[in-house]
Amino acid sequence: MSQRLFVKGNEAVAMAAIEAGCRYYFGYPITPQSDIPEYLSRELPKLNGEFIQAESEVGAINMLLGASATGVRAMTSSSSPGISLKQEGISYMAGSELPGVIVNISRSGPGLGGIDASQADYWQSVKGGGHGGYHIIVLAPASVQEMYDLTMLAFDLADIYRTPVMVLADSVVGQMKEALVPNPRPETTLPEKDWVVRGRKEGTEQKIVKSLFLGDGELEAHNWKLHGKYDVMREKECRQELFMTEDAQLIVTAFGSVARIAKTAILTAREAGMKVGLLRPITLFPFPTQAYRDVTGQCKKILDIELNNGQMVEDVRLSVARDAEVHFYGRPPGAGSLPVPEELFEQIKKYY
Amino acid sequence: MSKRYEIRFSGAGGQGLILAGVIMAEAASIYEGLQAVQSQSYGPEARGGSSKSEVIISDGPIDYPKATIVDALLALTQEAADKYSVDLKEGGVLLIDSELVTKQPKGNFKVVSFPITSTAKNEVGREIVTNIVALGAMVALTGMITRENAEKAVLARVPEAFLELNKKAFNIGYEKALAAQA
Repeated sequence: MSQRLFVKGNEAVAMAAIEAGCRYYFGYPITPQSDIPEYLSRELPKLNGEFIQAESEVGAINMLLGASATGVRAMTSSSSPGISLKQEGISYMAGSELPGVIVNISRSGPGLGGIDASQADYWQSVKGGGHGGYHIIVLAPASVQEMYDLTMLAFDLADIYRTPVMVLADSVVGQMKEALVPNPRPETTLPEKDWVVRGRKEGTEQKIVKSLFLGDGELEAHNWKLHGKYDVMREKECRQELFMTEDAQLIVTAFGSVARIAKTAILTAREAGMKVGLLRPITLFPFPTQAYRDVTGQCKKILDIELNNGQMVEDVRLSVARDAEVHFYGRPPGAGSLPVPEELFEQIKKYY
Repeated sequence: MSKRYEIRFSGAGGQGLILAGVIMAEAASIYEGLQAVQSQSYGPEARGGSSKSEVIISDGPIDYPKATIVDALLALTQEAADKYSVDLKEGGVLLIDSELVTKQPKGNFKVVSFPITSTAKNEVGREIVTNIVALGAMVALTGMITRENAEKAVLARVPEAFLELNKKAFNIGYEKALAAQA
């Protein structure tokens, strides 16, 4: 077993990227994710990798696109305003079916907003933040260990589905230190990258990576192909954590950092004799619809808690059993506004 | 529910408080076999002179990662003592530098005080180890981690050339806190 370390969530992301075989990083500094480029700028050169501080976020995402087209594992990271700048490139990558990992340690907005922990990028992340009607896989870690494990998984999912994958977290998980067991990269069977462009020898087949399809019917077929992949992801890649849901009469649902706070509130409720559980989606796209349908077969009350004004709650409403009631408690970010467990316990009591 | 213990190291930037918190958390998480979470202020909040590092220690999972009701507080400036002592729980412990915090905050908590910075400067020989003197004292006052495990965590963090200096700083801090408490 690997040694137990004590590291920041952001460092865990960088460590996992290296263990996953990523040797190319392109980024531009922004709080609260700069520990990721800081770590990789130090470590990648030692491994004959490349760390490039790009001229802008737009530059960085297009470098990721280019590197990915050659078949290497590569990554970029940023925080909300920077991720907005990357959306054009993400759309091009989705259209070109290019793997790549994008980490968003999100902060509050809209616009320049602030640096507080926020979950206001849910819509942008799961509904296709750029143009053209695509999805990317979105993973939502809630601990330093998951920052590591899910970053590692992100690289595999990206290669398996030929898609960009986003790791979406916030400063709570990114900036805190806790125990990490840096497990080695698991053995995974990955599809051969027979599509990469690396320069062509005479007589060999030409490879083209592109998102432009002008032929009659080509683009329609391409879109149906992409959406066919999204259906496979929905079927095979949903992940969630269920905590004390078996006998629950109220199920709290939250992702990432807020799910941690909710857990403390749920334990308080259990001590008070209230049967409360937690459903924490780990994949935000594909959204674990079936898990919501399953738990609301028995438990008819859901309380959705988010660090925004209500985004995931829309997907929750679409997923639950028809006779279930969905309540929402939102905390859009502001200085020092991270909800405390007692506050969430009050909400649990209100809807129980 | 598992037992949760919250520690806050506060003072000014440059006093090494972040590192003191990190070492405390590493001692708990790696050497003592407990669970620990460490966090600190960052960004604009971290600029402008003040500094704060929080450590939560528990025998079970720590879901809420920030300090709420603080069990033990270190304050190395008057500003930090005034600002954070209000979060101290009843019966908690406040450790202050007696020369830097001249106005003792009042409340239902125990105040332990000795000249931490001067001890580092004059008795250990280098002011730069103020944070390790303070850490030794906090280990003694909180009783969450054994002296041996805490010392291991300190030594794992410092460069070889400064092992003895930091060992001395840690142990003087530990002893002084016990004496000041008595």
